[in-house]
Amino acid sequence: MTRRNLLQSFSQSRRAFLRDTVSISAGIAAASMMPRGAWAAREKEMNIYCWEGYNSDKVLDPFRKEFDCTVKAQGLISDPEAVNQLRAGDTKVWDIINLNNAWGRRQLYPENLIKPLDKAKFEPLWEMMIPEFKWPYKWSTSDDGNELLGMIQRYGPSGMLVNTEKVSAATLEDEGYDLMLSDAFKGKYAVLMYDDWVIMHVVIAAGFSPFRELTDDEIGKYETVMRKLINNAAFLSDDMNAIALGMINGSIEGSFPGSVYSVSAARYDGNPNLRCIIPNKGPEEMGGKAGVCWMELTSLVNNPQLSPRAEDFLEYCFRPETAKNVSFAEGTYNPVGQMGDPKVMALYNTEELDAFQYDTLSADMAKCADFDIIPSYTKLHEIFSAAVREKA
Amino acid sequence: MTDASVRISHVAAGHSRVSRAEPWQVRLGTALSKPGFLAALPVGILLLAGFVGPLALVFLFAFMPPQTFSVLQAPTLANFRTIFSDSYYLSFLASLQLAASTVAILLVICYPLAIAMVRVFTRKAGILALVLAAPLFVADNLRLMGWMLFLVKGGVVSGTMQTYLGIPVDSMLYTFSATLFGLVYINLPMMLFPMILGVSMVPAQMREAAFDLGASRWQVMKEVDIPLAMPGIMIGALITFILAAGAITEAKVLGGTAVVMIAQDIQKEFTFAQNWPKGSALSMLMIVLAGSLALAMFKRVDLDAIFGRKG
Repeated sequence: MTRRNLLQSFSQSRRAFLRDTVSISAGIAAASMMPRGAWAAREKEMNIYCWEGYNSDKVLDPFRKEFDCTVKAQGLISDPEAVNQLRAGDTKVWDIINLNNAWGRRQLYPENLIKPLDKAKFEPLWEMMIPEFKWPYKWSTSDDGNELLGMIQRYGPSGMLVNTEKVSAATLEDEGYDLMLSDAFKGKYAVLMYDDWVIMHVVIAAGFSPFRELTDDEIGKYETVMRKLINNAAFLSDDMNAIALGMINGSIEGSFPGSVYSVSAARYDGNPNLRCIIPNKGPEEMGGKAGVCWMELTSLVNNPQLSPRAEDFLEYCFRPETAKNVSFAEGTYNPVGQMGDPKVMALYNTEELDAFQYDTLSADMAKCADFDIIPSYTKLHEIFSAAVREKA
Repeated sequence: MTDASVRISHVAAGHSRVSRAEPWQVRLGTALSKPGFLAALPVGILLLAGFVGPLALVFLFAFMPPQTFSVLQAPTLANFRTIFSDSYYLSFLASLQLAASTVAILLVICYPLAIAMVRVFTRKAGILALVLAAPLFVADNLRLMGWMLFLVKGGVVSGTMQTYLGIPVDSMLYTFSATLFGLVYINLPMMLFPMILGVSMVPAQMREAAFDLGASRWQVMKEVDIPLAMPGIMIGALITFILAAGAITEAKVLGGTAVVMIAQDIQKEFTFAQNWPKGSALSMLMIVLAGSLALAMFKRVDLDAIFGRKG
């Protein structure tokens, strides 16, 4: 058969084609069998499922080298999704799971998805922590306080983001969520689509605590605020960099919600006018707190073949230079709890501290309630999804 | 039934007449020990486990009580009731509208391109095909991210217009049109390549004969070119439609969620909402909807006639 061009004929003979197909399939089959053989001994491999940052080479490469092991890491953008993956049987895949504080004690541990840590081995490391996270820290233990469920590292306050050249920080702090939700702000902000965070902040903006069951009347008020938030937004995105870019190029002036991590990279990159703001006044039932702060809990997955490297990794993360690398991983810069140790603090310069708003960090954290599970989440999420679908 | 399938069924009937005298166990045994069946068994099992299995699981989950994570419960229609009483029709409509528009735009873009590649470039078409296929080696979301930087305010387009021409251009993102643009861009090869195969199936002699018999260019296109290239066109349209209807990244990255496509609703149910049964019910509805549309399309266009199997 003559070949006029690539598209018109297929020059291989049937026999050659069959031979190649068989050898390729056999190769693939053999390759897929290999991990099974290597399964029994997992000293040389470790898999981690984490928020962006822990999956960066800056954090993982030195570990790979020192422990001579393969580390596979996958980033996540949703705590509930990660919890679901573990529920669906991914406990066989992962060795380390890194989620926001409340999930460990509220769902992962009660559902037997994570393994408690050896207290004797890990408790001394808590000496390094900032005063807010001193031992025994609530979110690192089981409800009864008996088990250590994981280690805390990165943390941060969450409120709104704003370009302070357009709206002053003080004005936004005083006027709170109402300013961004006012008609004057229509089309000037984006919504950062980490669903549970949008929901929490809208409940707070509506005047209630998201961490208790809401009444029908309160849910009605929440719906009004949520629909306004979504309808007035310039765009909705789960890409914090797209939002930071919008604030830099002037297409938007702010974001609802937003945490320090969503602007820290842009701030370090010469845009100190982008800032995370926590309003001064919140609902009375939250003690006047208007923001929500998160701390990540890094735990051992209840993997039937847990890699022995997983515990090593948790210890490794508490070394001063690793703590700094985690804090300054590519793409997102965050304070870490280990900054309570002078050896860790000494590794930061002024610009780096300014990237994550160190000047107001303690004050901002004091204006935040701890992230927790939202009891009315199902109903609130349905309303949120409908508002997005029906966006005017 | 086509002639070919009629012939096949006659042959099968012949066999069954011969073996009817034997008890069914023997006939089953003979059928099971046939080399054809045995050879197809491994692939059959693989398909059953890898393709039908997950679908069956989604099907089962669709009838489980909301917010649960096991398929071993009493079945219920609660998920479907919630879906029909809520505004999910908006996402279904948006997906179908975007998919249909994508197919329509791609038909117009790809047909001339396919003709050019098969009839005009002939020998060089291979290189052109490689160039057109090259983006497929890069992940969709990376390419879309590239377009975002291209179209965003202060990006390549607006920055260039502003700097060199002094024309201020706002962001071209976060609209229905931006989503549609993304879908057209991502799915272009999916329409183009089957269409090229379709166009290359049109024998040159057939066109020449039509011209000799006095047909105009329009008539040749309408009566010869398009009908003979139809298998490629149909397959391209179908693949593109299904892919576009199930798309998600285009609407998120370029569209800024200005339009919610059904895949996004499904993804939300499996992730943030932690409601697998509702996500499964939405998936089943989408499968049924897309499947019946595809079937209806194939029914309207007689594939056997297109493939020349009809006498």
